[in-house]
Amino acid sequence: MKHCRGSIYNKFPFSRTVLNAPDHLHPAAGFDSEQIHSDQPSYTVLHHGYVNVCLYVSICCLQRLDVLAEMSVKAFELVPAVERDLLMGDKARINIECIECCGKHLYVGTNDCFIHHFLLDEVTSPKGKPSYSSQKLLHKYLGLKKPVAELRAASALERLIVLCDGIVFLVDMVTLETVPSAAGGGAKIRGVTAFCVNENPVSGDPFCVEMGVLSWKRRTVQIYMVYEDRVQLVKEVTTPEQPCAVSLDGYFLCLALATQYMILNYNTGASQDLFPYNSEERRPIVKRIDREEFLLAAPGGLGMFANAEGVSQRAPVNWSESVIGATVCFPYVVALDESFITIHSMLDQQLKQTLSFRDGHILEVFEGKVILASTKAVYVLVPLPLERQIQDLLASHRVEEALVLTEGAQRNIPKDKFQILHKRILQQAGFIQFGQLQFLEAKEHFRKGQLDVRELISLYPLLMPASSSFTRCHPPLHEFADLNHLAQGDQEKVLRCKKFLISYLGEVRSTEVANGCREDVDTALLKLYAEQDHDSLLDLLASENACLLTDSVPWLEKYHKYFALGLLYHYNGQDSAALQLWIRVADGDLEDHTRSDLYEYVVDFLCSCSNLDLVWKYADWALRKDPTIGVHIFTKRPGSKDQSDLNPDDVVTYLGKHSRALLLYLEHVVLERRTQKERFHTHLAVLYLERVLSLLSESSKNEQQLTRARERLQALLRESNLYRVQFILGKMENNDHLLLERATLHGKLEEHDKALHILVHELRDFPSAEAFVIWASSCQDSAYRQRLFHLLLGVYLDRTLTGKSAAGVSSGDLEMAAVDLLNRHGEVFDAVRVLRMLPEGWSLQLLRPFLGRAVRASMHACRTSQIALGLAHSENLQLLHDRLKERKKPILVSEKKGCHLCHNTFSEPDVVCLPGGVPVHTHCVAQRVRDPPTKRPLTNSSNHT
Amino acid sequence: MPESSKMKKPDVKVVLLGDMNVGKTSLLHRYTEKKFKDTISTVGGAFFLKQWGPYNISIWDTAGREQFHGLGSMYCRGAAAVILTYDVTNWQSLAELEERFLSLTDTANLDCIYAVVGNKADLTDPKAQRPQETDVVSEDRTECEEDQTEPQVTSACPTPPASPASLSGLMLHQQVTHEDAVAFYGRILRYKGLDENNSLPAEKMCFETSAKTGYNVNTLFETLFDLVLPSILRKRNENQESPTVDLEECRGATGKRSRSACC
Ligand SMILES: Nc1nc2c(ncn2[C@@H]2O[C@H](COP(=O)(O)OP(=O)(O)O)[C@@H](O)[C@H]2O)c(=O)[nH]1
Ligand SMILES: [Mg+2]
Repeated sequence: MKHCRGSIYNKFPFSRTVLNAPDHLHPAAGFDSEQIHSDQPSYTVLHHGYVNVCLYVSICCLQRLDVLAEMSVKAFELVPAVERDLLMGDKARINIECIECCGKHLYVGTNDCFIHHFLLDEVTSPKGKPSYSSQKLLHKYLGLKKPVAELRAASALERLIVLCDGIVFLVDMVTLETVPSAAGGGAKIRGVTAFCVNENPVSGDPFCVEMGVLSWKRRTVQIYMVYEDRVQLVKEVTTPEQPCAVSLDGYFLCLALATQYMILNYNTGASQDLFPYNSEERRPIVKRIDREEFLLAAPGGLGMFANAEGVSQRAPVNWSESVIGATVCFPYVVALDESFITIHSMLDQQLKQTLSFRDGHILEVFEGKVILASTKAVYVLVPLPLERQIQDLLASHRVEEALVLTEGAQRNIPKDKFQILHKRILQQAGFIQFGQLQFLEAKEHFRKGQLDVRELISLYPLLMPASSSFTRCHPPLHEFADLNHLAQGDQEKVLRCKKFLISYLGEVRSTEVANGCREDVDTALLKLYAEQDHDSLLDLLASENACLLTDSVPWLEKYHKYFALGLLYHYNGQDSAALQLWIRVADGDLEDHTRSDLYEYVVDFLCSCSNLDLVWKYADWALRKDPTIGVHIFTKRPGSKDQSDLNPDDVVTYLGKHSRALLLYLEHVVLERRTQKERFHTHLAVLYLERVLSLLSESSKNEQQLTRARERLQALLRESNLYRVQFILGKMENNDHLLLERATLHGKLEEHDKALHILVHELRDFPSAEAFVIWASSCQDSAYRQRLFHLLLGVYLDRTLTGKSAAGVSSGDLEMAAVDLLNRHGEVFDAVRVLRMLPEGWSLQLLRPFLGRAVRASMHACRTSQIALGLAHSENLQLLHDRLKERKKPILVSEKKGCHLCHNTFSEPDVVCLPGGVPVHTHCVAQRVRDPPTKRPLTNSSNHT
Repeated sequence: MPESSKMKKPDVKVVLLGDMNVGKTSLLHRYTEKKFKDTISTVGGAFFLKQWGPYNISIWDTAGREQFHGLGSMYCRGAAAVILTYDVTNWQSLAELEERFLSLTDTANLDCIYAVVGNKADLTDPKAQRPQETDVVSEDRTECEEDQTEPQVTSACPTPPASPASLSGLMLHQQVTHEDAVAFYGRILRYKGLDENNSLPAEKMCFETSAKTGYNVNTLFETLFDLVLPSILRKRNENQESPTVDLEECRGATGKRSRSACC
């Protein structure tokens, strides 16, 4: 965009050549966007070229139309201030030479050496159009017969500084009388070609004015102080060439020399060349535009900016080659050439407006007011209100420029007002870009402009909750009625806008943008998600949200998002409604494919549901559908120690009619949660038993099932110590199928002989018998263990029974079992007793492993005790030795000395000496011997401090 | 309140120099807007503010036309980096850098760094012909580009005529080799009176780019920004230090601002 700047003249070379045509043929005639101002038309010119001109004009019109449509902003309006009649009447040869304006006072200097004084009043017409009325107060002939070249007001001194006929002198602002020279010094400077007033003087004296003066044929600049009645030279600096134009700010002179511009510090003499310029070819322009910043006419018709350091901080603007005058009315650079006023933005350097202006002569800015003069009349260039300019730009969708203009105006507008304006413009800009589907840019502007997100939501039909109190801001931020209006029926566009809103709301909902309208935002988002079948719907509902129930329910129903609706109910504390809905979906009454595992979800939900009424109410449904999973409601509850949580007794009662679930639940309670309640253990054992019994009673036995069922039963009977043994035993008394179980139960009752009898003689299962012995003695001491092993050995070897036992089992089997037992567990037995029990006839070879181990064990025990004895001896000797040593020196005991063991003092002389001669109380040692604190030998304790 | 970057004072200045039509404006465009579009001959100069971390860097695009030559020194005043741009298909454009543009950099900072950049590499180097990944634009962007280009057609001028130099014979169209650029870089250092060993090496400072495809464009600017950062920091420190340092130095006998202490 930036680079379009200035192309107007390159493209339309004709425009300049034809502008001498009569007004009605003027290329700009008939355009709104261009104002036409000229003096009384000079119809005399060019009548002969009429036809040709017409042709040119029409071409130009067409071409310019394009450009203006694209480029122009109406930033200024040209308003006549002093008309020709008022100045010179019909005297044709009188021209305006210079002007000065100071408040309402306008001074005009003419070529016939007059100064005219007008009072200029701004009047606003009812339509808001600015206009000026002027009233002539006075005119005065200065008596020099030469044109008045320059006029500058020094209002604090009530003086006008006048340059006429190469002489600078002072006149009274009111009477226009020349001020006579004061006694002390002159009030005149001679040989002057140009002068300038320092608007930013370093000296703060309000009653004098600093002035830079260029003189005829002198390579110097002189600095004068102007007082009420005199002028005083304060400084003179030389320049490398003859200066021809000057401007002054602080100590800095900005000069146009013959071949270049330069900056010169008159205080230090330091200078900085700027750039070359041929002042013979073109009239130089040197204009102070701001603190230490100047605007200069550069080669190629450029307007260059330069600061006091000689650096350009803004890009140049592109004028025509024939520019006469230029000035800045922030943020615009206004320039005048022989036929046009051009207005460039300083912010983006683009040409913004062109006004036709013929015989242009003077362009100055006085106290922010831009005043122009042709040779015959004076005009004011009135800036349009900034907001209007901005709105014009926005209306033609020139977002970038509108923003640049707004932001550029920051320093001219009070801060709070600027912020409001800036936000609004950003928002409008955002909507324009939104309308063009430039979402990235739109979003950025919405963000910067802190857009009330509801403005955007409200564009989308039906998204705003019915209850929302929101109304769009007025005047509206955009031209769209709604999304359909914007998209003009293009569904693709609608969709893209919706996608954008989804991402936008998703981003802002958790930021401060959504403050105060979270409900609207979340509800809108929910609606969009539902409608667009968006995955995030569930995330939205599963986390913190402000979706409005009343609005969302029908919407979710419409899009069959029942699962989501359930989540919403749940979020709003309506779990019952949620469950009802989900159950209907799970049962197939409603259709929503969001979750194929909805049943499991409901179970999970009930599982973590703290409202027990709901649990009781819906558990039945879940258990009926699938008891194995349904029971999770009770078994997988998060481990809350909460008393109010489900009571297992209640659950067991409740599960009465769901046997499968009951079993699972009891297993959970007994095996996993390891409840210590006898009831549950017994109950579970009974259930296991019943299962086994029922399997046993089936005609066609499923061995595998039976085995599994028995294993479970056996495991429980073995592991648990809490069930009622007798009760269970009673249920299987005389059942020949459950011998192993019965043995276990006898074992529980410590009736080991009965148990072993069953195992050995009825079941004849020796490995089980051995396992039983190991199991039954597993938590007991070695004597108990030995007793059980001996018991088993006894059973094996009991001849009385062997004879009686079931046929087909030789007593040899039992003997072999006995041998195996001995050989495998020899260490448990008391070998002497065993040997006594064994039948005489057994071969030594048979018992070799047992005997070998027994002998080795007893040898080991014997030697170990010998070693212990030896060690004890040596320790005893050592102690004796120490005692003898200590006896040789006296042991000091006093009431001030503490016992090393109890740290109390000694009250009587009876003490015991620890090894090393440390005295301690008798009773302390006695106690120490009774229960030594460590296994450390006492000798070390003497090292204690 | 979001501050407009347009109003911020730049911390540092980078200047693009080179004959007209070598592609300075296009390079800046490519870097700032990630597109290649029709340019019109730059009038006078233009600049762009780039936010680089916490810093503002102004990049000046200058006009290569003879007419605006006088402004070059002013643009270069206080520059921290100068990008001397030529057209790899136009030998004369490299020669012009030496003849006309190098002297403009006299006003640049003493520690100014110089990059020699051969643009339009897409015309000579197959590597540079593929569109660059880094410059892939998002969907929305592409669209706004489409939206914008249409109305611009009316205002965009046709490509300006080739520079007069390029009309004068085959010789001038001869390709510029990388070695030519490196040799020129050496001559820049000599012109500046810099020791080759203490300066940035030619391999690092000679680039070949294509504004058309984006080849090497980001690399060019970002390398330079990273190199001028110290310059920014020093400038910032100088601005901040002055009130406090003075107090310190009053006590010390060293006098005013002896630079040798630091760096
Ligand atoms: N093939 C090609 N053409 C380019 C490249 N860069 C610029 N151009 C073209 O060269 C011409 C001049 O470009 P411009 O940026 O105006 O050059 P400037 O005068 O140095 O600013 C234009 O027609 C561009 O389209 C490039 O990398 N490759
Ligand atoms: Mg250019």
